[in-house]
Amino acid sequence: MNAVPFSFWRALLIAQNTLREAARQKLFLFFLLLALALVVGARWLRDFSFGAPELKFLADCGFGAMAFFGAALAITATAQLFFSEIENRTALTLLAKPVWRAEFILGKFLGLAAVTAIFCAMLTLLLMAVLRWREGELMREFPETFASGGAVSYAMVALGGLLQWLKLAVLVALALLVASFAQTQLFTVVTGFFILVICHLQYLAQDAYARAGSWFAQNIGGALAAVFPNFQLFALADSLNAADAPPALHVVRVVLYAAGYIVAAGALAVYCFRKREI
Amino acid sequence: MKSSALTATFVIVVLAVTGTLLNRLAAPAWSATREKQPALTLDSSVTAAGQGVTLALLGGFRALVADAAWMRMYARWEVRDLPAVETLIRVVSAIDPRPVYFWINGARILAYDLPVWRIEAAGGFERVAGPTQQRIGREQAQLALRHLDAAMAFHPASADLWTERASIELSKLHDLAAAAESFRRAWEQPRAPFYAARLHAELLRRQGRKAEALAWLVQVHPLQPPDPEGGREDVVLQRIRDLERELGVAPERTYQPVR
Repeated sequence: MNAVPFSFWRALLIAQNTLREAARQKLFLFFLLLALALVVGARWLRDFSFGAPELKFLADCGFGAMAFFGAALAITATAQLFFSEIENRTALTLLAKPVWRAEFILGKFLGLAAVTAIFCAMLTLLLMAVLRWREGELMREFPETFASGGAVSYAMVALGGLLQWLKLAVLVALALLVASFAQTQLFTVVTGFFILVICHLQYLAQDAYARAGSWFAQNIGGALAAVFPNFQLFALADSLNAADAPPALHVVRVVLYAAGYIVAAGALAVYCFRKREI
Repeated sequence: MKSSALTATFVIVVLAVTGTLLNRLAAPAWSATREKQPALTLDSSVTAAGQGVTLALLGGFRALVADAAWMRMYARWEVRDLPAVETLIRVVSAIDPRPVYFWINGARILAYDLPVWRIEAAGGFERVAGPTQQRIGREQAQLALRHLDAAMAFHPASADLWTERASIELSKLHDLAAAAESFRRAWEQPRAPFYAARLHAELLRRQGRKAEALAWLVQVHPLQPPDPEGGREDVVLQRIRDLERELGVAPERTYQPVR
């Protein structure tokens, strides 16, 4: 079946095509514009901020938009771009050629990861610009408060954006895994959102089972925590203060954690897709 | 069918094994995240579930949602809707426990506004008996202190929370010893206002513990910030002199400021 050796270049071509398809679709632009509008609009929402310092409020809105719209984009784009290939029979045509199914899955993942990377990069840059603009205004207004320098660590904002992207990349890999065996796009989207919520909440389930005290409950909690990645881990850089920066080793651990889940989910997606009849 | 079940089992087993290894790898980073993010270190399973759902579904929007809930609380506060105000104070703190503002103002409403509403709802200050009014005041003060206790779990180094606690203990519970202790704890926190140290001594003096008050003022007087906002250096030194006189301290043993 696979007379030709595995080619990373073919996977890249599929990735390129996936990225082009995503850019053509209105879905990507819709989520991007919504998120961009929210980040810019947060500047005018600050009058409703009571608790958090203003710059932190702006950053929260920016990362909130990235997480919320990014997750919606990752799940829906994955389902749409995967199933459009199957429904339009382009996958059949493609896989009739000497193209590995693993190349197809890898290409899809790389393309979708690039889509989410562009989304996160644009939002992070815009968030930085909004923060810089407002910080400048505040510095001119209250110079004594900023006597020791700026209040925003832009490296922390960039790190926050990177971690958000890693989370979305893991979500894309898990959505691809579901899509690789699902029969409908709707099932993939709904399951993707369930996975998103479970991954955010699994640490609570683990805590609750641990508190229950029974060996059985603890194992259930442990299994849940193992099967589903912990998305709260990607909130490692939830501060604008450089003094709160996480140690580099911790960042590396989180990157490896994300990479591990991406590889596992990707490999399983290939395994399931190879068994699938197109 | 059998093949599908086998495939699903295989997928789950592979993910579980991978996840077990990866969780070990990420454990130090996860511990650090939980320590730094108060929202992830809740003890109460009820609030934890609420917070978790919030984090999951709202992500960074929780600041915005907490602000909206706080505005809604103010709207209910205007019409003196006690159950709604009390509930919304808790909801806001559960959604976003990071700002101290919500905790302090929530405690103030619980301690100072709600007793008045309860007394007026029971017939007004003219009709409700004094002991009943005092009981209501104490109950609400205890609620506010519990609210501040919860806040301290999230903000263990907040001087503002300790001074708020001291104020409630002093003005609502009239517990001088507890208030003095809270002002002392406030002074121990980073960036504490100097008036917390001064009020600790004042409350010791009011309890008749004059020697302790004098020793405390002598100890903290050199630490007074150069810009004596709230410090009132002249008052502090005057209080030291008053206490020395009241305690009959010999002239050669009186406190001599270094500055």
